Amino acid sequence: MRTLFTLLLTVLLLLPVTAVAATDEAGTIDELRKQVKDLSAELEDISDRVDKNERHTALDRINWYGDFRVKADTLHYSDTAWNPGVAVDLNQFATDVFSDPPTWGFDPLGIDGIPMTGDEGIIPGSPLANFAAQFPNHANAFFSGNVPAIGYLSMLGLDLGDRPEKSDLDNDVLYTTRMRLGMKANVWKNVNFSGRLSMYKNWGDSTGIKVFDSWNSFTMDGTNGGNTTGDWLRVERAYFDWKNIGGSNFYLSIGRRPSTYGPPSQFRENEMRGGTPSGHLVHFNFDGITVGYHLAELTGIEGMTARICYGQGFESEWGNGERFNNITTEDTHLGGLNLDIYNDGMTFVQLTAFAALDVVDGFKGTFAFPAELVELFAPTINQDAANFPNMNFMVRYQPSTVVGDMYLGGLGFTREEMNGVKYFGSFGWTRLDPNGKAGLFGGMASDNLYQAVLMDTDGDGTADSIVPVPTNKAADDSTQDGYGVYVGVQVPAPMGKFGLEYNYGSEFWTPFTQAQDDVIGSKLATRGHVGEAYYIFDINPKMFIKVGGIYYDYKYTGSGSPVGKPQKIDDVLDGKAFSMLPVVDTAWDGYASLTVKF
Amino acid sequence: MKKSTRILAVLFLAALFTTSALAAEGGNSRKGKYLYKKNCKTCHVAGAEGGELTPLSKTQAQWDRFFKKNAADCLEHVKGKLTGQDMTDINQFLFDHAADSDQPETCG
Repeated sequence: MRTLFTLLLTVLLLLPVTAVAATDEAGTIDELRKQVKDLSAELEDISDRVDKNERHTALDRINWYGDFRVKADTLHYSDTAWNPGVAVDLNQFATDVFSDPPTWGFDPLGIDGIPMTGDEGIIPGSPLANFAAQFPNHANAFFSGNVPAIGYLSMLGLDLGDRPEKSDLDNDVLYTTRMRLGMKANVWKNVNFSGRLSMYKNWGDSTGIKVFDSWNSFTMDGTNGGNTTGDWLRVERAYFDWKNIGGSNFYLSIGRRPSTYGPPSQFRENEMRGGTPSGHLVHFNFDGITVGYHLAELTGIEGMTARICYGQGFESEWGNGERFNNITTEDTHLGGLNLDIYNDGMTFVQLTAFAALDVVDGFKGTFAFPAELVELFAPTINQDAANFPNMNFMVRYQPSTVVGDMYLGGLGFTREEMNGVKYFGSFGWTRLDPNGKAGLFGGMASDNLYQAVLMDTDGDGTADSIVPVPTNKAADDSTQDGYGVYVGVQVPAPMGKFGLEYNYGSEFWTPFTQAQDDVIGSKLATRGHVGEAYYIFDINPKMFIKVGGIYYDYKYTGSGSPVGKPQKIDDVLDGKAFSMLPVVDTAWDGYASLTVKF
Repeated sequence: MKKSTRILAVLFLAALFTTSALAAEGGNSRKGKYLYKKNCKTCHVAGAEGGELTPLSKTQAQWDRFFKKNAADCLEHVKGKLTGQDMTDINQFLFDHAADSDQPETCG
């Protein structure tokens, strides 16, 4: 454009000279006039086109980009079992029995006035006798005095030490498609908008809801982006950045946060840093506010940025039938600090620390109610529902109880060498601080405590059974600390990269990483050991194929959930402990994916 | 959904076969960043002789065109401090971080 204009001016300036020098060459003048006319016409045409481009640029305010991934997983679970049970207050049980022995069915003096031992004093036909008939091992343990303060009672009728049925599960192939559409817009010279719409589905299913057999199957606000939820395009992120406020290094960002795929998880994703906080601690969609300050100029430390974050994880009133005025929960608030200590593009050190206050017994979400739980918890409904074994009713779950506070902290390090080798290490700490309350699924790091009560089941006016009823108190209100480590390396390899990763989570390890899109479940939330190996074939800068496998060795139940007491997987399999949801001992996921960025 | 694992095996083989003729190539982006900061920023900052240039100043295609046109001039300008491969590394860094390249998805 500029060149053309210069050329035009040159022609115009030269025109008189040329005309004088060639007054006798009328043909030449005519030719030059024609050229000027042509150039003018072309300039006008180009000007029109530039105007259109300018108009289009001004109106086309969103810059779209994205990626598309198709993936095949082969899933294999070893030693899966389901043995739901309840925690019973045996101290209270003993107190109740010995305060009113005849009603419960125990005669401590026996028929001859000699104090009885063991279960000799059980009166036939009494509630205790009926209980002992159903659970002889439980009864023997109880009357021998060899019981803990809290015992577990199987809801499937298994006696103490009876092993639940266990089996292996193989899903030879599961196909999924994930599409993410990123948006960026320049609002003003120091204000940007960013967003990402995400669809993640497994092939052949767009119900958006799964049968509730694990917390991973719970469709909820914080994890929708990382769990298969049908063909809906959900808003995974939407926020603005208001930078250099008042000419300072402060920035303000509000909206649905970029709080997934943070470091160091970007290496296995074969992408750049995908989120702000540590991906080892936080991989969860939050709505909130970040106030940040770029400290590099102040400290001289490259890439140093401090961020204070606030968010809300649960709204207790709005939309929860609050006008009936029966709400007993509180809003769940989150706040914390995220500090990029050093970031020069090769070495990155990050500190993350935050708290979640007034955490409830599960977030709001939807799931298909399993027939197995209907049978246990809703026997009346089950009488009819049993006629439709292939139908599940859809449930909107709403937590009932504030169960405590959570605290999380972590320090991460990543390094990218000149030769393409990348490695990282991250240490995380989580603390569960229960308040002693419990909901349907339990309290924080604790089970809901049940109390054994007498019940007249046959309606004859006399108690004949002992049944557990929930007290909605936590069986244990001790503060519990958990820790996790995450290390990995990625090296250049023919046609791409090869990576190895390992992570471990302790008994009470409870990060917010449930939105990690591993189909078996967030590997970083695992209470146990996880190993992963993968090979990335870089087809071109915009396409890659990834082939790999993840091996899970679960040590404790409840990975990814602060609710419920973690039980040793081995104890559940041995019938010594119980779990409301099915447990898995080990699992492996072999996968192959093709990702296209655009 | 149960299907034969052979499907997966075929996919693996297809992946290997498909990529056998394709590979990422070019300069070393990390090395390019180091060289860019050490050599280029002396001239290409605001107010300096060469005018401000950051990776975000151009698109990927524009950077490639820029180097095709100006690499020789730059080499001449730095008087033997950089080799042809160094320029390729710098080009790779600027290409990888161009205005239309993938960017970190963080706030702020």
